[in-house]
Amino acid sequence: MKKITKLGVLLFAGALTFTGCADRFLDEPAPTEAVSESVIFGSRTGVEAYISGIQRRARAQFTATDAGGVNSLYFARTIKGNDFIHATSWWSFDYANDNREPTYRRTVFTWQFPYYMINQTNTLINGVEASDLSEIDKAELSAQGKALRAFYYFQLAQEFQLTYAKDPDAPAPPIYTDLSLTGNPMSTLREMYKLIVDDLTFAVANLDNSRLGKSYVNAQVANGLLARVYLVMENWEGAELAAHNAYGGDVNAALAPNAYKDGFGDINNPEWIWGLPQSDDQSNYYYNAPSAFVDLVNPAYNNVFVNSNFSDTFSETDARNTFFNTGYSGFRSVGTSKFTFAFDSDIVVMRTPEMILMEAEAKFRQGDQLGAHELLYALQLNRDPQAVKSTNSGAALEEEILLERRKEMYGEFGVEWFDARRLQRGIQRTPNHRIVMDLAPNDKAFYLKIPQREIDANDNIDDSVNANR
Amino acid sequence: MTLFMAFVMQFSLAQEKTVSGTVTSAADGLPVPGASVIVKGTARGQQTDFDGKYSIKVNAGETLVFSFLSLRTTEVVVGSSNTINVALTEDVAALDEVIVVAYGTQTAKSIVGSVTSLSAETIEKQQVTTVTSAIQGTVSGVNVITSGGQPGENPTIRIRGIGSINASAEPLIVLDGVPFNGNINSISGDQIESMNVLKDASSTALYGSRAANGVILITTKKGALNSKPTLDISAVTGFAEPAVAMHETIGTNDFMRYTWEAARNSNLYVRNQSAADAAANASSSIIPTLGYNPYGNVAQPVDVNGNLVPGANLLWETDWKDAILRKAALRSEYSMSLSGGGADTRYFLSANYLNQEGTVKESDFERITTRLNLESSVNKWLTVGLNSSLSTSQQNYPEQSGSSYQSSIQWIYSMSSVYPLFRRDNNGGLVYDNFGNKIYDYGATTGQSVNGTRPLLGNENAAGSLYNYETLNKRTALTANGFAKLDFTDDLSFKSTVSYENYLYDGFDYAAHDVGYAASVGGRVSQSRNITTTLNFTNALNYDKTFGDHTIQATGIFETYQMKIDALGAQGTGFLPGVKVLNGSTTPESVSGYISEERLTSYLGRVGYNFQEKYYIEGSFRRDGSSRFAKESRWGNFYSVGGSWIASSESFLENSNWLDFLKFRASYGELGNNQGIGYFPYLQLFQTGWNELSNTGVLLGGVTDPNLSWETSALFNVGMDFTLFNNTIEGSVEYYNKESLDLIYSQPLPISTGNSSITTNVGSLSNKGVEVALLGRIIKGNNVSWSAGLNFAFTTNEITELTQESFINGTKRWEVGRSLYDFYIQEWAGVDPADGYGMWYKDVLDANGNPTGERETTKNYSQAGRYYQGSSLPDVTGGFNTDLKVGNFDFNMLFNFSLGAQVYDSSYAGLMDGFSNPGYQASKDIAGRWQQPGDVTDIPLLLNSQNDFNATSTRFLFDNDYLRMRAVTLGYTLPSNATKNLFIEKVRVYLRGDNLLTWSSHKGLDPEQSVSGTTDSRSSLMKTVSFGLNVKF
Repeated sequence: MKKITKLGVLLFAGALTFTGCADRFLDEPAPTEAVSESVIFGSRTGVEAYISGIQRRARAQFTATDAGGVNSLYFARTIKGNDFIHATSWWSFDYANDNREPTYRRTVFTWQFPYYMINQTNTLINGVEASDLSEIDKAELSAQGKALRAFYYFQLAQEFQLTYAKDPDAPAPPIYTDLSLTGNPMSTLREMYKLIVDDLTFAVANLDNSRLGKSYVNAQVANGLLARVYLVMENWEGAELAAHNAYGGDVNAALAPNAYKDGFGDINNPEWIWGLPQSDDQSNYYYNAPSAFVDLVNPAYNNVFVNSNFSDTFSETDARNTFFNTGYSGFRSVGTSKFTFAFDSDIVVMRTPEMILMEAEAKFRQGDQLGAHELLYALQLNRDPQAVKSTNSGAALEEEILLERRKEMYGEFGVEWFDARRLQRGIQRTPNHRIVMDLAPNDKAFYLKIPQREIDANDNIDDSVNANR
Repeated sequence: MTLFMAFVMQFSLAQEKTVSGTVTSAADGLPVPGASVIVKGTARGQQTDFDGKYSIKVNAGETLVFSFLSLRTTEVVVGSSNTINVALTEDVAALDEVIVVAYGTQTAKSIVGSVTSLSAETIEKQQVTTVTSAIQGTVSGVNVITSGGQPGENPTIRIRGIGSINASAEPLIVLDGVPFNGNINSISGDQIESMNVLKDASSTALYGSRAANGVILITTKKGALNSKPTLDISAVTGFAEPAVAMHETIGTNDFMRYTWEAARNSNLYVRNQSAADAAANASSSIIPTLGYNPYGNVAQPVDVNGNLVPGANLLWETDWKDAILRKAALRSEYSMSLSGGGADTRYFLSANYLNQEGTVKESDFERITTRLNLESSVNKWLTVGLNSSLSTSQQNYPEQSGSSYQSSIQWIYSMSSVYPLFRRDNNGGLVYDNFGNKIYDYGATTGQSVNGTRPLLGNENAAGSLYNYETLNKRTALTANGFAKLDFTDDLSFKSTVSYENYLYDGFDYAAHDVGYAASVGGRVSQSRNITTTLNFTNALNYDKTFGDHTIQATGIFETYQMKIDALGAQGTGFLPGVKVLNGSTTPESVSGYISEERLTSYLGRVGYNFQEKYYIEGSFRRDGSSRFAKESRWGNFYSVGGSWIASSESFLENSNWLDFLKFRASYGELGNNQGIGYFPYLQLFQTGWNELSNTGVLLGGVTDPNLSWETSALFNVGMDFTLFNNTIEGSVEYYNKESLDLIYSQPLPISTGNSSITTNVGSLSNKGVEVALLGRIIKGNNVSWSAGLNFAFTTNEITELTQESFINGTKRWEVGRSLYDFYIQEWAGVDPADGYGMWYKDVLDANGNPTGERETTKNYSQAGRYYQGSSLPDVTGGFNTDLKVGNFDFNMLFNFSLGAQVYDSSYAGLMDGFSNPGYQASKDIAGRWQQPGDVTDIPLLLNSQNDFNATSTRFLFDNDYLRMRAVTLGYTLPSNATKNLFIEKVRVYLRGDNLLTWSSHKGLDPEQSVSGTTDSRSSLMKTVSFGLNVKF
């Protein structure tokens, strides 16, 4: 009997000895779906994987069908204008130009998504700079990060304040260049644009035209972004140069009119400088604005129509004339086949004709009307072999350039809204709209209030930020 | 082990003899069948037969313990006689009943903590698909919420308030001594012997790091030693329908008139058109806006006065509720069990089949469970046993909550009757397929000018999707729990338990190839197979000794726990009609897989001491190491101390003629929580899976706190148990205070930082409450007996520390001194009679911008102030029941109630939208809307423009008091002389109703929604009427 007791005690003691191994036993489980910082910043391959992830996130589902990715930032701008008429469902409040209150999804998404991406790019830039990679790799990889960071700050600057030219010292969203656990105070547009220009200038200087794919940033993309930024800042000289560099200067070589009617779903279109690629297994499904909404044929939301006043400005022979009669009456009578919806439809972000037209406009603003008109006509002729050069000059030529921008890029990134904001012109809707309205120059509808969620958690921003917004 | 076996062979047995006798009841002298006879300090024992007789092998000098449910346990030391007859006296409070507690058993009398035990009898009175539902209304201080009418879904259980903010607040479930990681719906009610709810520190401390939210111990049935095989067969069949009626909605003609009015108002008041233009434009815009015309070729069915034009006759008016919900859902359950035992071995074998249909058409739950429990005393000092079960279930699970397009209830509340169930052509005529069948209308017939494209929930039809899509959850669970117990001496034993659980979740999802959201890619099949394995190894050394007046019980345990989830998923598109397996896929869309693992190593012990079974004191300690935390912070120490005093055993009370029993008890302890926070919450990592075409991609995960550690709960409990007036009234009263410290908490960050929150140990929370349980045995006759019970609990929840002054979390604001669940929303100030616009309150500010304390109204929602408005936590929850037996009839009822909570009804808010989104269904209450200046009403004007009238405010916050009749049963047992000749021991037939009646303060909504008091378009619980038959051989 005693022996058995002893043995039992021994057994128990044996079990307790296991204690020694307890820590090893507990150490064994490890994350299987994630890797540590050292893996990412330990090699160029690691950093490239991170850049790939950031670019993938640019089109991923975020909060809802009308709030997921760069494309939904863009499409909200598109639908606020005059050229498209929206039936109902998603985007209807953007269409009504009143989706800007602090608790609304549009407001929160337009704030949260760029900041989410900025935090990723900050981690990328700082991680690369602290790494042991070669100086050449460091410069190139952090240039990609900086171009992306500038891109997202540029979105914030445009969405949460009137245009730079209106008042450079107006309050703008907070600036972060490092990981922070506390909220920063509001900045000014001047500070924000300085960071944007610095980042893009660095990117242009340190990138060449090579890249992993057309969704990644190279010198062409960085120049295109810089041209857009300078256009807003009214730095015409800078815009002209950057735009010129972005498309290379040869109009016909930079354009491929026959690809215009291919449905805007293929990133390999030679006119595309930058895009968001999709595939069957990497799709944002029905979050794909514009195509899931503008395409009226392939089953999706099918609820966006074209203003006939706008489609009437296209000649029959224009390669960009993709309009058709829907058979519906009223505001639903015209549709476009510009964007074809499929789960693997790629999303356009930037194209060469925009660069050509930016160069033309920049020339015009600097007094070179002749050069401007020549570039404009070169593009027009490329699009329509029967195009006739106009006799416009002065204000009429300016209008012609701006109309050409809309005709070229409608539906892509909200060109109408972008131009109306930066030129402080307002938007007038024609009476055939479902909701007829006039946005005065610098109307409050051109920018959003600061989200309540930010105010609630940020000690440096209080409710007064939305006074008079 | 081999060495060990070799050793034990040498063991020599002491001299044995056989003792036999009869156990009778002292009250009436009748034999007591089924009484337990156990050799004290061993597992050897048996039960008396039908004549109260027993026969057992013992050694002289050993003690026999005779016990039976409500009789006083009696001990007799075996002397020279071979016959021991015992007459058991009535034990009023059944205090020597053995209760399953953490890592062992204790007598009810010796428990110093707070344990509520539910017997098999109580569980069987309810028709539960998930066994933990039986706690609702029967255990005080436990809040149980069953959300929705999908059978096979499990209720949310909160024991003694809400003890955590971001970590899990779910109690730990322990099945036959082992933490349970499967789906609780895999256990059928008929297998359960008892379900014990452990509420305080002293009863749960041995579960240490996982005990802070309370523990539910489920023990399955075992056979009885020395009992003949008993075969028990039951069959129950019934019909069910939703327990609560839905909100009432409007018909098509009303819908058209209101839509016109909303468009007219919008033209008139928002777009400032003339009255004539506004009306004319409204009339002409209706059909283009709605996209459908249920009046066929009447192009403008509503005239400029807002009336239907003559000749406007409806071609269809869809009743979506009828198309989606069942009128009678069938439920049937059959079970069979066999139990019994010989002198050394006992067994329990059972099989159960359940098939239950849900509220929503096509939804159902089908389950087969089997169990075999076997225990055998190999010899005097070795007992081995195995509890094993196999359960398999299939759940057809059409979406019936949430906001996906095909979500059933959302659809019924969103889609107006204007939209047809089946496809229509331009003129409103039905369209048929090639086989002459009607086609479900998905609202996505592009190119058809009318009746083609819906403005809402496009390319979907929730009624059609019930048949065109398929969502199946298949679950298979296997558990095997084996033990070996060595009795070294009468006082000292060692028990080693190994348990293995394998739970397979097999999810299948099919979206149609021809219609709906995956039609453009030819259909989609998604499958996932997750295997969860749990391996638990426990070694316990027990010591139990009585020296005169002193009794000591001590337990030392070493335990390791390993849990692993191995997940695999695949998804493909492009299927031929009728093909629903991935082999038929044209394009593989995604593959996924991961492994998550958790481990825990623990040392634990408990020491209990009592003096004369009058004064009890007990202490427990557990040290846990968890793989969920960094090496530096992974070890935690948890403990409890408790004591009790049986006052009625004192000489000055012993002879009281009204007080049968009185006990006071108190306990204090500190417990932990590490659940619900992910497996590596302390690491900030780069997440894989963000590939950009063929380039592999990663993305930085959320920011983390590397020092994250346990959340600790300090629990204090004091209670009193009593029995009065010769066992007529029995009851208990308890008070507790549960302080949760170092909460694992998602501290919100400004979203401009790129992170929305960080999980860290900050803040504390307090839950306090009083629990009362009373039972009256009003009539205690042999032929007639009647008893009634009542239990209720008051609970308060309070935030006691936060890192910031306050912050907003959805509809709540968290602030020190307030509850986690106090609503903090805009306060509705009614409708301005002048223009029909909705108003809210806001603070009047002084010159410095500070609130003066006064309030004024505003029509600008973004300026409206938010204020505290009640809580989603009830003030009082509880239940009452009554049992009546008259002759062969038995009748019982069980009610549960909840008072003092609020619910925010967003479904109703949607129905009161007032046509800002055209095409959406509306409530009948919309009839009371503002129509012209001067109208005094609480319902704003209808307006087809974006507005905030139905934005979150007290307009849709309602009191949520309710009383529910959970179960009522009327049974009849056939007289035994009628059945005996057929060798049938017992036949009982019964009629049962579950959830038959629900009284609630807010109509149109099932009062059981969620802890946070928010709705999510959930289907209602079901009320069931069923007929049952139970035969025992």
